[in-house]
Amino acid sequence: MNRSMKQFTLVSLAIVSATVTIFATDLTKAYDMPDASKLIEKDLLAEATKFTMPKSCKLDDLEAIKRGSFFFHNLNGKKVKGDAPKGVVKFTEKKTKDGKVKKVAKQYGNCVACHNIEGAKGAGNIGPDLTGYKAMFVDTKVRDAQFVYQKIADPRVDNKETHMTVNLTTKLFNESEICDLTAYVMSVKK
Amino acid sequence: MRKLLLPLALMVTVATAGEQFAMSDADRAMYTEMLENNPADIFVEEGGELLEETLGGEEALAKFLGVSEKELPKYIAGFPRYIKKMGNVVGIDQVLQAMQTEQGKERYKLKNAKMFSMLAYVKSLANEEQFTINIKADEHIKASYDLGEKTFKTARGGRGLSCLSCHSADIIGMVLRTQPLPDLGKVGAGATWPAYRMTKSSLRTLQRRFQGCMKNALLKVIPIGSKEMVGLEVYISTLAQKEKQPIAIPGLKR
Ligand code: HEC
Ligand code: HEC
Repeated sequence: MNRSMKQFTLVSLAIVSATVTIFATDLTKAYDMPDASKLIEKDLLAEATKFTMPKSCKLDDLEAIKRGSFFFHNLNGKKVKGDAPKGVVKFTEKKTKDGKVKKVAKQYGNCVACHNIEGAKGAGNIGPDLTGYKAMFVDTKVRDAQFVYQKIADPRVDNKETHMTVNLTTKLFNESEICDLTAYVMSVKK
Repeated sequence: MRKLLLPLALMVTVATAGEQFAMSDADRAMYTEMLENNPADIFVEEGGELLEETLGGEEALAKFLGVSEKELPKYIAGFPRYIKKMGNVVGIDQVLQAMQTEQGKERYKLKNAKMFSMLAYVKSLANEEQFTINIKADEHIKASYDLGEKTFKTARGGRGLSCLSCHSADIIGMVLRTQPLPDLGKVGAGATWPAYRMTKSSLRTLQRRFQGCMKNALLKVIPIGSKEMVGLEVYISTLAQKEKQPIAIPGLKR
């Protein structure tokens, strides 16, 4: 190779590599990989928690049983056709970051997704059948109100590997609503 | 405990019976017809055209991935995988984004329908292949698998559920509100998404499907393409791999 040829090659090599450096994209930033760890962190479930059924629980109160039945058979306020029982809301209001007020559907138990019970429509079978619960489990002293209350509030306390939902530790329901559900499960149904 | 006593054969029967239960006769007739003529074929085709016209087709894809076109199907069957120059374990969609960026083209969002189509097309190149994910290949894929498994087992959200609450071996085939719980390995979930989802009348990807379960079960929905989502995809895909389920895109789902 003669000298001028050599120089030409060198120069063009330099040009080529310069172009490559200019146009080579940093591929480690060339795609989206959004962070999810903070979302998950905030969404984690707290430790299994023991609860004592409050004295204020009125297990024979027909209104409470009615509310409990409603929570048991429904998924959320948006899916409910017709009215919710007295004292139960279908939607709550939430302030968004930009100050607007948003309607959010109140979530209910949807217990029927896993449990059969009197009058259930499309019940699942992941959990035990709760039909005739009072006669079979309560009157025979196999279960009591405290057991049922704890099971609904946080079933992990007596079953670490449970497939059941956690309803009070998660704040999905408040104490009084857990009372309503307990009252319903334990009631005599037609 | 009674659940553990159910012999496997019986569970399979229960699952099939349940499946019929979840679908009406009319739905089932439609399903049968769609099996012959999957409405998502047209999206897969569209994805192929987009890849060809905007990014240079399989040739460009193979080049980007550093493999020959002949090796492409088996290589695609190994996704999500660690791509050194991208610095992460990534999904096919993220590779397509990187190609778009490198070529100075518009970068589709990961949840964009056109991206779903392109992803479906590229994954369909591996049709009939079994997954070739090797979680021992390097520390990155191992970490991604572990994160996926952890994400699968982490209880969270409004009802304190994890994916495992509904997808663990001991409750497969049981019924959740008329829907039998599928065995994610045996139904080849990882191998059959992107799929046409009849109830949504659209093409959905595997990560989009994960989001559906999160939303239904009140787990906070995490974004497509996050490390956790990619990890979940690795984890779920290896379940299909263990069951030797071949890749079959587009799938057809209820
Ligand atoms: C995702 C499935 C699932 C949902 C939803 C669910 N359960 Fe359960 N439930 C179970 C399973 C599984 C068990 C049995 C294992 C256990 O006791 O932890 C159970 C057990 C119970 C028991 C104990 C029965 C007994 O005497 O041993 C009660 C009471 C109960 N559930 C009530 C409810 C109520 C009320 C709701 C709704 C707020 C509900 N469940 C929602 C799955 C579920
Ligand atoms: C409350 C119960 C529940 C939880 C929690 C749940 N799933 Fe599901 N999942 C289901 C049911 C029921 C189906 C079947 C639905 C159908 O037939 O359309 C399903 C279907 C799926 C499928 C589709 C299977 C197929 O046909 O290809 C995938 C994938 C999946 N789930 C992943 C997940 C992941 C990942 C999580 C956690 C983030 C999760 N699921 C949490 C109940 C659940």
